[in-house]
Amino acid sequence: MVAGLREVGLAAIMVLIAIAVGRYWKLPVLKDMAWGSVRAFIQLVAVGYAIKFIFGMESLWLMALALVVMTVVGAQTAAGRVKRIERPFMISITAMLIGSIVPLATMLLADIISLDARYVIPLSGMIIGNAMNACALSMDRLASDLRGNRLAIETALALGRKWREASGQYQRAAARTGMIAILNFLKTTGIVALPGAMTGMILAGADPLHAVFVQLIVGYMLLAATTITSVLAVEMTVRTFFTRHHQFRLIP
Amino acid sequence: MVDDVSFTFEAGRLYVIVGPSGAGKSSLLRLLNRMDEPTGGEILFNGEDYHAVEPWELRRKVGFLFQTPHLFEGTVRDNIRYANREITDERIYGCLERVQLRRDMLDAPTDNLSIGEKQRVALARLLATDPLVALLDEPTSALDPANTEAIERLIKHVADEHGITIIMVSHSPDQVVRLKGEALLMSAGRLIEHGPAEELIGNPRSMEGRKYVNGELS
Repeated sequence: MVAGLREVGLAAIMVLIAIAVGRYWKLPVLKDMAWGSVRAFIQLVAVGYAIKFIFGMESLWLMALALVVMTVVGAQTAAGRVKRIERPFMISITAMLIGSIVPLATMLLADIISLDARYVIPLSGMIIGNAMNACALSMDRLASDLRGNRLAIETALALGRKWREASGQYQRAAARTGMIAILNFLKTTGIVALPGAMTGMILAGADPLHAVFVQLIVGYMLLAATTITSVLAVEMTVRTFFTRHHQFRLIP
Repeated sequence: MVDDVSFTFEAGRLYVIVGPSGAGKSSLLRLLNRMDEPTGGEILFNGEDYHAVEPWELRRKVGFLFQTPHLFEGTVRDNIRYANREITDERIYGCLERVQLRRDMLDAPTDNLSIGEKQRVALARLLATDPLVALLDEPTSALDPANTEAIERLIKHVADEHGITIIMVSHSPDQVVRLKGEALLMSAGRLIEHGPAEELIGNPRSMEGRKYVNGELS
């Protein structure tokens, strides 16, 4: 497959087709379509140059800095999506950091990847992106379930149950919500859709079986990352809703 | 909010707290089983600072019945077992009898119950922890007159026959008279006066008491 600036320019015809269809149907997303396409172009080209620069520098510090920036921006985005919980940024960054480091360190220790920006940066991008969604979804689900079930929770507390028991079912449901995307992916991958990393590799000319193995490794990493992130995010969020005297409290 | 309330509840008696909305009646109740944390003062239970007991242990001795009953998914039996995992079937029957529910309701799913039945199951569940005190937060406010009368009868029965101290919040002066016992009048977070129910409602000593009985405070 040939892909250069000229090809991207030609592919933009499809954006024009989409906008024409949207205009005909009076879809209220014309601005988003146009601006989104331009924005994606600018962001991806910029990140392409950034990655190229980091690859060329071969500096571990630069790689670490890139990872920190990615995690901080990811944590800010996750925290911004959740309303009315305490310290959402601290919770997000802690859960995402640990959730991302564990699978990445495992890969490095097992010698599946080497400490090279070429592997670490793109894999971290996928991991942090997935951890961010898992974090936001699980925090949001937990906060809204706890708020919506105040009477049930206080009934359990009033009957002499500890806060962890009174909120257990909501914690489990919230952690599961954070993991749904990756669980669905693992179930349907290869049957309903071909995953992005694998497709990209095949399009770029790699051996399909090699592409499949890489994708499986990525899938397993994402499972670990989203599980750890969701569980940690839930664990830290639920504690903000209870006092140490097993009292339920709502953040105004 | 509750401020400047100093009172001793004696074991085995029935107390009814009345007062206009926002008087702090429910807030006081929530402090008594530590659903909320007092910011000052002290609360003694059996003569000891109640902070000496773990909150969940205290709550098994000082039960709480909410205005609207919440029953957990499952059957009536599941709900009673939720309060006391080790309870025997014999004791479950005992709890049901105390709230006048039939034994055959034990395996009924809780979604099919009427609001009156739900409140009885919630009361039976509270009794399953063998409490010394039962805090009842307007337990009849969601009920029709027939169910209200039935629950009032049960409350008196539980207090008289089983020696459980009942502290109940009510917003109705008539209910206070029907239940008899000791009445406490609260207003703006303070305990204004207390005394036998008929006396307090029939002939209040304080200005707030007279206003409340005349319906000037709502």
